[in-house]
Amino acid sequence: MEKTITKEKPKHPMGRSLFLMFRWIGKQWPLLILAFGFLYAIQYLRTLVPLFGQHIIDAILKGDPSKLPPFLLNLVQGGTVKQSLLMAALMMVALEFIRSTAIIARRALSAIFAERIAYNLRNNLYRQLQNLDFGFHAHAETGDIIQRATTDIEAYRHFIGDQIIEVMRLIFLIGITIWQMSKLNTNLTLISLIIAPIIFTVAALYFGKIKKMFTVVEENEAKMTTHVQENVSGARVVKAFANEAYEVNKFKGLNRSFTDSDFLLTKKMAVFWSMTDMICFVQFCLTAVFGIIYTTDGTITLGIYTAFLAYSGNIIWPMRQLGRIIGDFSKATVSVGRLDDVLCKSDEYVQEKGILKPEITGSVRFDNVSFRFADSTYHQLEGISFAINKGETVAIIGKTGSGKSTLMNLLVRLLDYQEGTIYIDDYPITEIEKHYLRQNVGIILQEPFLFSKTVEENIGIADRNQRGGPRVQEVAKIARVHDDIVQFEKGYQTLVGERGVTLSGGQKQRVAIARMLLKPKPILIFDDSLSAVDTETDIQIREALKKEWKNSTVFIITHRITTAKEADRILVLDQGKIVETGRHQDLIKTKGLYRKIWDIQSKIDFQLEGGDDHE
Amino acid sequence: MNEELFDEESFTSNKIDWNVWQKIFAFMKPLKKPILFGILSMSFLAITDVIYPYISKYAIDEIITPNLIAETSDLSKLPFFIGMYIFLALFQGILIYLFIRFAGKIQVELAYNIREKAFHHLQELPFSYYDRTRTGWIMARMTADSRNLSDILSWGLIDITWSVVLMVFLIIVMFLINPILALITMAVVPFMVLISIYFRKRILKAHRSIRKVNSKITGAFNEGLTGAITTKTLVLEDANFKDFDDLTSDMKVQSIRAALFHGLYFPSIIFLIAVGTSLIYYTGGNMVWDLTISVGTLYLFTHYVWAFFDPVNNIASIFARFQQAQASAERIVSLIETEPDIQDSPEVIQKYGTLFEYNQDNFEPLKGEVEFRNVSFKYQVGEQVLTNFSLKVKAGESIALVGRTGAGKTTIVNLICRFYQPTEGEILIDGVDYKERSMGWLHANLGYVLQSPHLFSGSVMENIRYGKLEATDDEVIAAAKAVEAHDFIMRFEKGYDTECGEGGSRLSVGQKQLVSFARAILADPKILVLDEATSSVDTETEQLIQTAINKLLKGRTSFIVAHRLSTIVHSNRILVLEDGEVIEEGTHSELIRAHKHYYQLYTNQYSEEMLELSKR
Repeated sequence: MEKTITKEKPKHPMGRSLFLMFRWIGKQWPLLILAFGFLYAIQYLRTLVPLFGQHIIDAILKGDPSKLPPFLLNLVQGGTVKQSLLMAALMMVALEFIRSTAIIARRALSAIFAERIAYNLRNNLYRQLQNLDFGFHAHAETGDIIQRATTDIEAYRHFIGDQIIEVMRLIFLIGITIWQMSKLNTNLTLISLIIAPIIFTVAALYFGKIKKMFTVVEENEAKMTTHVQENVSGARVVKAFANEAYEVNKFKGLNRSFTDSDFLLTKKMAVFWSMTDMICFVQFCLTAVFGIIYTTDGTITLGIYTAFLAYSGNIIWPMRQLGRIIGDFSKATVSVGRLDDVLCKSDEYVQEKGILKPEITGSVRFDNVSFRFADSTYHQLEGISFAINKGETVAIIGKTGSGKSTLMNLLVRLLDYQEGTIYIDDYPITEIEKHYLRQNVGIILQEPFLFSKTVEENIGIADRNQRGGPRVQEVAKIARVHDDIVQFEKGYQTLVGERGVTLSGGQKQRVAIARMLLKPKPILIFDDSLSAVDTETDIQIREALKKEWKNSTVFIITHRITTAKEADRILVLDQGKIVETGRHQDLIKTKGLYRKIWDIQSKIDFQLEGGDDHE
Repeated sequence: MNEELFDEESFTSNKIDWNVWQKIFAFMKPLKKPILFGILSMSFLAITDVIYPYISKYAIDEIITPNLIAETSDLSKLPFFIGMYIFLALFQGILIYLFIRFAGKIQVELAYNIREKAFHHLQELPFSYYDRTRTGWIMARMTADSRNLSDILSWGLIDITWSVVLMVFLIIVMFLINPILALITMAVVPFMVLISIYFRKRILKAHRSIRKVNSKITGAFNEGLTGAITTKTLVLEDANFKDFDDLTSDMKVQSIRAALFHGLYFPSIIFLIAVGTSLIYYTGGNMVWDLTISVGTLYLFTHYVWAFFDPVNNIASIFARFQQAQASAERIVSLIETEPDIQDSPEVIQKYGTLFEYNQDNFEPLKGEVEFRNVSFKYQVGEQVLTNFSLKVKAGESIALVGRTGAGKTTIVNLICRFYQPTEGEILIDGVDYKERSMGWLHANLGYVLQSPHLFSGSVMENIRYGKLEATDDEVIAAAKAVEAHDFIMRFEKGYDTECGEGGSRLSVGQKQLVSFARAILADPKILVLDEATSSVDTETEQLIQTAINKLLKGRTSFIVAHRLSTIVHSNRILVLEDGEVIEEGTHSELIRAHKHYYQLYTNQYSEEMLELSKR
């Protein structure tokens, strides 16, 4: 069978992850480009703000040339100093208004962009999970997949929605600022950039390195959480063995190591922020000192000096931020890889050829069918041949692992055989459309799953039109679960599943049976699905079924000889082969496996007899 | 757990409940040192933040302007400027390191203290608490709530300190330099406060409702995954996808709406500050022209307009979060203040020690006689389960309890284990009311095997040793051998070191049962409680379990909630219960002969064949 996905591909090729990061953007490209356009305009407007300071300090107050771009300069001419100041102030407010509006538009664009992609990704993943085959689901680790569906999608959304935008914003800001600075003074521009690359590199390396520590903290937290979880769910055991002190001590240790590793991380962060802050200040200091020298020797004006002070803030903090994000980037590529692990798997419909939708009456024929799991070296089922007429009841009996469930899973094509052919009404089942096949061949699993809905919705799940109708109660009566349901406080409106009341194993099985009976089916399979129901109810259900579904072919996998006894035919499986077949009366006379099982099961009764004699 | 979160999230109270907060603040008492140093370093940092633009003013007014006026290039004051700059940079760097360190210390230790106290208290709570409280609820207190609280209290405290000190200091400095410009700058602040509070509150609200949808989506993924095979067999793919699409569409719409709203906040502040800056430029520019102020002062004030934003934003955001965190605080307080309704009396603790520290020397040896004397019991919610119930069990006797679901079997077992106590009457062990002895005394002599055995993550060895923590490896192996578990354990690649997985998930049902038997036999209890499993295992494992049970029962007083015929047959006495009363009592053969309740119950359960055989 397929291995669990975590083990399958420990490392995803980096190139593919990068490729996918951008491919998943799909048709949303124009939104991103438009957002970039807005970003560019916003950052350009932002770099104009310090020029207003220069304009006021130099041009208005001193009479030196203004560095505002010509189109703006023409708009802020005033007769007197007072008028000029007013014009400049008003223009600044106007430009900042435009910038604010542009920021709002840009945020809207990137939100729509990111949320649409996340929406598509969630839907694709969900659809994919539904369509992945039985092998995947039999071995899937729910927690791991859920993490992919939540944390990893969120990490990717964060990447395209925030990180890409932020990176572009910083690049535009740094780029335009450098351009604006260079127009003012080349030398001071170069001086203002000396340490910037160092800041970037330090930030990128540091955040690249510190990631491992995050993992350690997360692992320690997980260990601690698991301990609490097990302690709480095992409260009976803890108390009955009087191990409270042991539990408290164990928790103390785990709590401490999580706390300590978390604090270690905080200390590392403290070092990072204080170190880089100091480096940044060195750069500011350099710009300021050379600015002062240039201003005093007349190379630049005072207004230009103040503009440079503002501009260096536009470069240095963004440099650190940029380094931090880029150091963090691989998080997103890891997430993309983990998502792709699931998305790139071929689902069970990939090579599907079945298109027929014939009327099915219910005869079943296995012709020399063999099956083995993908990673297995031996056949789980080998050379299985038998034919069942329409309307027969067939019991399948055998030890755990003998292949009973596999046999039935083949019939609904949860698994596909490698050799031989299975016919339903003389159509090879691989030629029948898969959904259509499953609509006609009902299987009730041993551990059925109920959805987080009301009992009524669960029973009516296969046909939403039946909800609230009389049919739901009818089938609940056939499955002998009606009496249980009406005893619930809210009756049929009781919420079940993960978030609702907990039903007993037997009640769950009976709800699952009712749910399957909603629509008539020519073939019905009970995969040990009466195991948690007591014998009396088991008999009642089977009798009710016989009455209502007399034309259907029924397969029952069971451990109970009493159930097998009444079947029209018994198939005895052992190690993937049919070793015996026939009716109870015939099989009981042989010395085979069936007889052995029968002996063991009735031994308790012989014991009872012995006990009687003894007393 | 998800639904639990919905309920909790919808909890909003607008009033701050100081009573609750006081209890939470109590957790911060041991952290006086980091709190003091954190506040100190943050206050100094705020002051340097105000001073920092002032050195630029110094450069403009004291170095550049005099030179420009005098047309000289006298840089004699530059070294002082550089010195100041470097000093401030170093000082600020150190302060940043310190405040992060101290705030971090407060955060992690506060969370530690809360979890520690909560976990300790959880161990004291009686079983009834676990019966009515969902695991998810407790887990959320231990993780999300303690994290949330420690986060807001530590960083909130630090941020508020910084914000308040900065603003106060800023206002003082501004008024000292120029009251008119100071007033103009201050004029912007009230608007900033209003805008910030308005947005912060709503942003938080929007995020909360997104989180709700998000946890619904997580729930849907979970359901889609665990129910995948069921979905296939019922051909529900399209219907499920439609439901899912409703959720993700909702998520999309809400997220975009929240982002749009969030997107308004910062730009409106930018615009507000632009208005303030222009006012400063206009008024200040005129003042520079009139020579009332220097260019440096003008520069300084354009900076100070911006300087108000961070503290205002911080305070608004903390205020909003603080209100929200109250729900977390209330839930944690409710957990640690839950009174255990079953606990040892002070006299008993005096003599026998607490749950965590036994005074084993005073433990009387336990023989195993159990007596219910006129016991009545009812759960907190629900009807009377037992009324005037009496039962005498001799040491070493094995009692099988049979009857329909709800007949009172589990209740009797819970009472024996003292998971619950009788509401009336008393239970005597070796002739003494068990309330007069400690819970530790009882549990040290009690073995309990659950219907669905609960294993812990860890190795098989550790799991068996749970029955007797000081047991040697040999003792563990002997116990495993005694219950026929040794063979299957040795078949594992790593033998006794095999990891059981969370909740024992890597073992089969039958294997888990055998391990839990080994655990019980290692504890060597005088009284054994066995809640038999109903789940179907194949016939051979069934036999193994049967043999193990027989060994387990030997020489102990045992109470069995029985489902297996052979276990019942082997017990000394069978009690047939109905509605909390013993309606029939006796050995198997006696009861079969009586042809009454037991006979009926078991002919139904054990098929027609048994019936024929027993008639013979």
